[in-house]
Amino acid sequence: MTSKLIGALGLWLIATHGAQATTAPAMPPQAALCGSCHGSQGLGVEPLGPRLAGLSSEYIQKQIKDFQSSKRQNPTMRPMAMTLQGDALIAQVADYFAAQAVPSVSIQRRGEEVTFQDSAERLAYQGDWSRELPACVTCHGPSGIGAGTFPRLAGQQASYLKSQLLAWQSGTRQGDSDGMMANVANKLSAAEIDAIAHYFANLK
Amino acid sequence: MKPALMLMLGAAAVTAAHAQSPDTSLPDRQAQLPSSPKLEGQEYLIPRPLDSIPQGTFGDKVRLGYQLFVNTQQLRGKYVGNELNCVNCHMDAGRKPNASPIWGAFFAYPAYRKKNDKVNSFEERIQGCFTYSMNGKAPPSGSPELVAMSAYAYWLGMGGLMDQYGVAGEVPELADAELLKGGKREDFPAPDAIKTVLTVDARANLPGRGYPAIPKPEMPYDPSRGALVYQAHCQSCHGADGQGQAMAGVYALPPLWGPQSFNWGAGMHRVNTAAFFISENMPLGKSVQLTPQQAWDVAAFINAKERPQDPRFEGNLDATKSRYHKHDGYYGTSQDGVLLGKEAFPVFPAAK
Repeated sequence: MTSKLIGALGLWLIATHGAQATTAPAMPPQAALCGSCHGSQGLGVEPLGPRLAGLSSEYIQKQIKDFQSSKRQNPTMRPMAMTLQGDALIAQVADYFAAQAVPSVSIQRRGEEVTFQDSAERLAYQGDWSRELPACVTCHGPSGIGAGTFPRLAGQQASYLKSQLLAWQSGTRQGDSDGMMANVANKLSAAEIDAIAHYFANLK
Repeated sequence: MKPALMLMLGAAAVTAAHAQSPDTSLPDRQAQLPSSPKLEGQEYLIPRPLDSIPQGTFGDKVRLGYQLFVNTQQLRGKYVGNELNCVNCHMDAGRKPNASPIWGAFFAYPAYRKKNDKVNSFEERIQGCFTYSMNGKAPPSGSPELVAMSAYAYWLGMGGLMDQYGVAGEVPELADAELLKGGKREDFPAPDAIKTVLTVDARANLPGRGYPAIPKPEMPYDPSRGALVYQAHCQSCHGADGQGQAMAGVYALPPLWGPQSFNWGAGMHRVNTAAFFISENMPLGKSVQLTPQQAWDVAAFINAKERPQDPRFEGNLDATKSRYHKHDGYYGTSQDGVLLGKEAFPVFPAAK
């Protein structure tokens, strides 16, 4: 009798816990505006807005604040970001988009391939140290899946990845620690930027 | 009678201690060789690109060496006991000058070491990396892993020297036994065009070998000043807690202290070694951004924290400290009320 009760209670706990784990948080009202360009599930609408799903809440929060302070200069995003005032609200909206599902990507670890036909893939996995250029995956993770303050590159829109590398070059995007990302972007040629943007965008 | 017995016991104790001479105890295989000084305008060996590794069994060993170097975690639980990969300290997969390139190390062994009064082969040096830096277990002598890593080091170094001295063709294949010994010996097979220009000693001190020394700090190095350097320049990648950042289970941004980092026997726990490494190689891809004072201070900060035990520890912290830690380091010292080494994390833990 008692064990049956415990068993039933256990099943109930598993069921409810499982349900909670698979249900993303409800969309906060202030996120609706974001959804008009980024998609209500944050999957992105090219060319209006990049994909937010797959980015960490920590990263999204920092970007909203960087738009507000113009470390990231963007005439559309600055007024949008200004509608989110206060850490709590910013976190709520960021949490919502960070919790959205993102298409999975098969992970390629460093060392699985020794040589690369695709020069963009070689840059991603080995960098080019004759130019002091580290491999992209060192900070963005295997297959560019990202975590924490390092954004996911896998599956992001190529046009967006390209525009951001150019923004790091021109200085209209800042806010990286010690200018690390600007340092990397400044060493890339226009052709390399184009190739790398497409490489990560097309990872599946 | 009593004093005589004590004398006898004392003598027995002395004999027992003597029996644990450096020959039988775990040697220090991470003792420092002097690094090659960094000079204005010097030319560094340029290894051949990886896509020129030849096909065939020798080339396969070289390729495996590269793969083990950048993904050492494939040996986790077998020979590796932490979350590090060789490439964390040897940038560009061991190819970058002034980041302890393994082409430089290959030609610096076998090396005589005062500390264990023994000649150490290249293979034994790599075994030391597994015991200390990887907080693991050394692969057995002659194992495929040690052969592969030696082959990779040799191929990088010899190909670079051949290009530098105008020797055409593929890097000559070498037997495993030759690879494992290393290249610092008169009988090492090298093309005449290289042998006549470079003495064995010159080969052992190629420009860019090791981490170049930086000047002593103006003020004595200090972990508390280092904490500020860490917050400003290091923690965005290595984390406020120093535990790095895992993505898909890979710590490309490595833990710097704690159970998943190098142990108290690793060369990197020395403040000077870490300061030299940091100055030259951090932040990643920028190089020489910190002042010497900042590099020393932040090296002190990182190394004044608990990490896995020194594998030579036999139960007595003071004994291990006085025998193996007469250098710039914090083992056996009190930091923030903690006696470092007393509650050290396990060596080669059984599970993650």
